[in-house]
Amino acid sequence: MDHYAIEVSGLGIRFRRNRLGRLSFKDLLAGRRRRTRPDQFWALRDVSFKVKPGESIGVVGRNGQGKSTLLKLVAGVLIADEGKVRVNGGVAPLIELTGGFVDDLSVRDNVYLTAGLHGMSRAVIDARFDDVIDFAEIRDFIDTPYKHLSSGMKVRVAFAVIAQLEEPILLVDEVLAVGDKVFRDKCYDRIAELLASGRTMFFVSHNEHDLRRFCTRGLYLDGGALVFDGPIDEVLERYNEGIEA
Amino acid sequence: MGGVTSTVIAQRDFHPLRRTQLARYRNSLWLLTRRDLKVRYSTSMLGYFWSILDPLIMAAIYWFVFTQVFERPARTEPYVVFLLAALLPWVWFNSAISDCTKAFLKDAKLVRSTMIPRSIWVTKLILHKGIEFLLSLPVLALFVIFTGAQVRWQIVYFLVAMGLQTVLMVGVGLIVAPLVVFFGDLERAFKLVLRFMFYASPVVYGTTNLPPQLHGWAALNPLSGIFELYRAAFFPNQVNLYDVVVAATISVILLVVGFWFFRASERQVLKDI
Repeated sequence: MDHYAIEVSGLGIRFRRNRLGRLSFKDLLAGRRRRTRPDQFWALRDVSFKVKPGESIGVVGRNGQGKSTLLKLVAGVLIADEGKVRVNGGVAPLIELTGGFVDDLSVRDNVYLTAGLHGMSRAVIDARFDDVIDFAEIRDFIDTPYKHLSSGMKVRVAFAVIAQLEEPILLVDEVLAVGDKVFRDKCYDRIAELLASGRTMFFVSHNEHDLRRFCTRGLYLDGGALVFDGPIDEVLERYNEGIEA
Repeated sequence: MGGVTSTVIAQRDFHPLRRTQLARYRNSLWLLTRRDLKVRYSTSMLGYFWSILDPLIMAAIYWFVFTQVFERPARTEPYVVFLLAALLPWVWFNSAISDCTKAFLKDAKLVRSTMIPRSIWVTKLILHKGIEFLLSLPVLALFVIFTGAQVRWQIVYFLVAMGLQTVLMVGVGLIVAPLVVFFGDLERAFKLVLRFMFYASPVVYGTTNLPPQLHGWAALNPLSGIFELYRAAFFPNQVNLYDVVVAATISVILLVVGFWFFRASERQVLKDI
């Protein structure tokens, strides 16, 4: 039996610098052990860490240092070029929240669709549907096409759906910067509730206050490398020093 | 606190992994297919009629050109039935493959945020268009009744043809979808290829109408054997065993190559969309 919720070892992923960079069939099919070409860069390299169930980790770093990429690798929506990510149990990703929603379908259809794609069965969705709608405070618009909602409402529905997932691991990527203050507080309360029930959380944010509130441990990414892994307060201190330096 | 997590994991371990994976695949496939059908039918008033109007108009045009203007190809009476028996499957092939060129780009946000088996982005298109194909079959049935065409036992080949065509389309789709992500120009190129394929496949004519020296080439097009099977119920003399065997072989090869290519390119696709 494994004791870790997330195990990352020697993780690396590289991207092309510009999208028009020439890509040959040979590159495509040569597998993961091809050499780095000059027009490629490593967004992350040699990143290793382990997360125990119930831990809550804040990922810190400046823009473009690989925070979101790391989250996507853990979520399984990107595939690493080097190393391994092992995730024990399902993942509830709060990434590109409204991405799966279809403009022309009603709120109801969208809730069923998104929840279903994240692995909820129809019976479970039926049972939770009212909770989702109440949480999003959108009862009057259940049959409105999604495109007619305000952008705040859109995010509310999306968050409400993902927050209902039973998955043991929660990935949060700066999504909460949107929405009004009242709803944001509600989202934070919900996250705190999920944490209290033993979820493991992976949190990407620039907001020190949020990081300190939710996380016990921090990962500081710089230049695609994991430069510091420790208690969140120390990580934030290091990070702030790094910026001033 | 740790107890909650471990029970979740334990529950998962009890299930035979393969079955749950298959069930999840089916569930996601069906959800997305239903989504597409719903979007298609809820955003237009005529809804369903669009799926039969398109082949109907095409059939009317070719019927006019090839029975009223030019001389009809030999042994194709009644021509409307002859035409529709291959035209409806062609519409399935054409619409699904041209949608496959946009398989990843159209749903890019969803691909980037949901962890479902990536081949679903291709297979759901083939299923969606396949359902529209089935819904358009009453048109063929109506013309069979109107023209009094004889229906033979070979109608069972219709199912074989659908199976083969599915295999072929999944194979082609798995190759086309990643390629377009890497080389944007290919979207247009594939449109041209599809237009060429329409005339290179026995839709408005039958393989028996081709000059003998072209027959070898026609057989290499897997759609030849497949369309012959669709027509077998009404035109049993169209079926050529050699064509069918070649079609089946090429379809299976394309499916294997498709899966291999898709797996090999998946990593890069996810980075590029």
